[in-house]
Amino acid sequence: MGNAIKNYIFRQFKKTETRKHELNYLFWECTTSCNLNCIHCGSDCSKDSRQKDMPFTDFLKAIVTIENPAKNFTVVFTGGEPLLRKDIESCGKELRKRGFRWSMVTNGFLYNEERHISLMNAGLGALTMSLDGLKDSHNWLRNNPKSFEKVDRAIGLAASSSRLNFDVVTCVNQRNINELENIRQYLIGKGVKSWRLFTIIPIGRAADNPELLLTDSQFKKLLNFIELSREKDELDVKFSCEGYVGCYEWRVRDSGFFCRAGINIGSVLIDGSISACPNIDRSFAQGNIYNDNFYEVWQTKFQPFRNRTWTKTGKCANCKEYKNCMGNGFHNWHGDMKNVLVCHNDLIKESP
Amino acid sequence: MKVNWKKNLFKGLCLTSVAFVFQACYGTPQDFGQDVLIEGRVVSKNSNLPAKGIKITIEDGPQYVYTDNEGNFGFYTMQRDNLKLTFEDIDSTENRQFIKKDTLLRITDEKVMVNIMLDEKE
Repeated sequence: MGNAIKNYIFRQFKKTETRKHELNYLFWECTTSCNLNCIHCGSDCSKDSRQKDMPFTDFLKAIVTIENPAKNFTVVFTGGEPLLRKDIESCGKELRKRGFRWSMVTNGFLYNEERHISLMNAGLGALTMSLDGLKDSHNWLRNNPKSFEKVDRAIGLAASSSRLNFDVVTCVNQRNINELENIRQYLIGKGVKSWRLFTIIPIGRAADNPELLLTDSQFKKLLNFIELSREKDELDVKFSCEGYVGCYEWRVRDSGFFCRAGINIGSVLIDGSISACPNIDRSFAQGNIYNDNFYEVWQTKFQPFRNRTWTKTGKCANCKEYKNCMGNGFHNWHGDMKNVLVCHNDLIKESP
Repeated sequence: MKVNWKKNLFKGLCLTSVAFVFQACYGTPQDFGQDVLIEGRVVSKNSNLPAKGIKITIEDGPQYVYTDNEGNFGFYTMQRDNLKLTFEDIDSTENRQFIKKDTLLRITDEKVMVNIMLDEKE
């Protein structure tokens, strides 16, 4: 009964948020060049250096159209690897001059002390770094024998700053599922305060590599690990917002599942496309900054994101939990959109 | 850190997305904006000419910047009540020689302007 009331109230909250659709969070895919060649590349990011980096002035012209930006509005630099751009700091400073805050997602390979200081000087406010295991498993996924050594240094630098709101993300797979507690201890030792765990969705190279994907029972093991870790105080551990996790909802995250793509989250992609999270199928682009007024697109389009009834198809068509899940994370819809790519709740239910 | 659903529900009921902290799947946490912008100019006390290449260091952290050709500098740093800055000529005699100086700033706003005059060494 308690859960039913809680879920009902949370659904009303989500409806209110969707109607309001305030833009709080804007990804800028500033480059698609990357200095690593991760074996899961193509699942959630792509390495496509054929695209030239977007000139900052083009991005700026697009976002100055935003009328009365939300108080907590943040531009999130993503890629590719943003630190390959030499002008990240000057881009960040220009954003701050105009009252926008900015943050960055990085693989940490180029994050040395000099870069840490210049980014802080430029007003970087939040940072996310990828760590996909201890030395062997991280180097395996990142496909580079030096990547752990580099990210180890980078995590130490970022965690030492009380200014940065910093977290570490881990893609959980066959190679690291059994070392999660060791990774947790490592992160505590480095002074990290927050850790988010993901799974890898079966697209791109990940579709053909079973080592990257978890079995049903491993997925449940991951959620149990997160739930248990959240009872301890040293490190804030959470499951990412990638999907609805049924009976684990409110137990593995700070709140219930709410995919805010296109509701509060937008993006400007490398070719100028206007969309939501960068890992969403590119056919969902709602406009292009080179042809359209960015904010007008945000205000008047994005219908597939704000009304998700079209996702009630395939296995979602007769699902009893649809009203709480609404088709899972938006990035789980690819190709012909006839079925959700991953149903996290199914994984839980099918686990022994 | 037991999941306190009552607390989370309260947040959901009472706060708009402005205050409701969230992050996108592959994005960063949100920035709580706890910083201050320090900007200023360094000139020679003797000639009033800009002092370029002066290293400005924050006492209790790793951050530093250098003045540009016009003697200007600017950086963001953690919000705090007082901030001690050290101005130091580190390029020897290349652009004249200045005597090291410390300054204690009282931070009362999100932006602080500071103009510094450095004595030249004889």
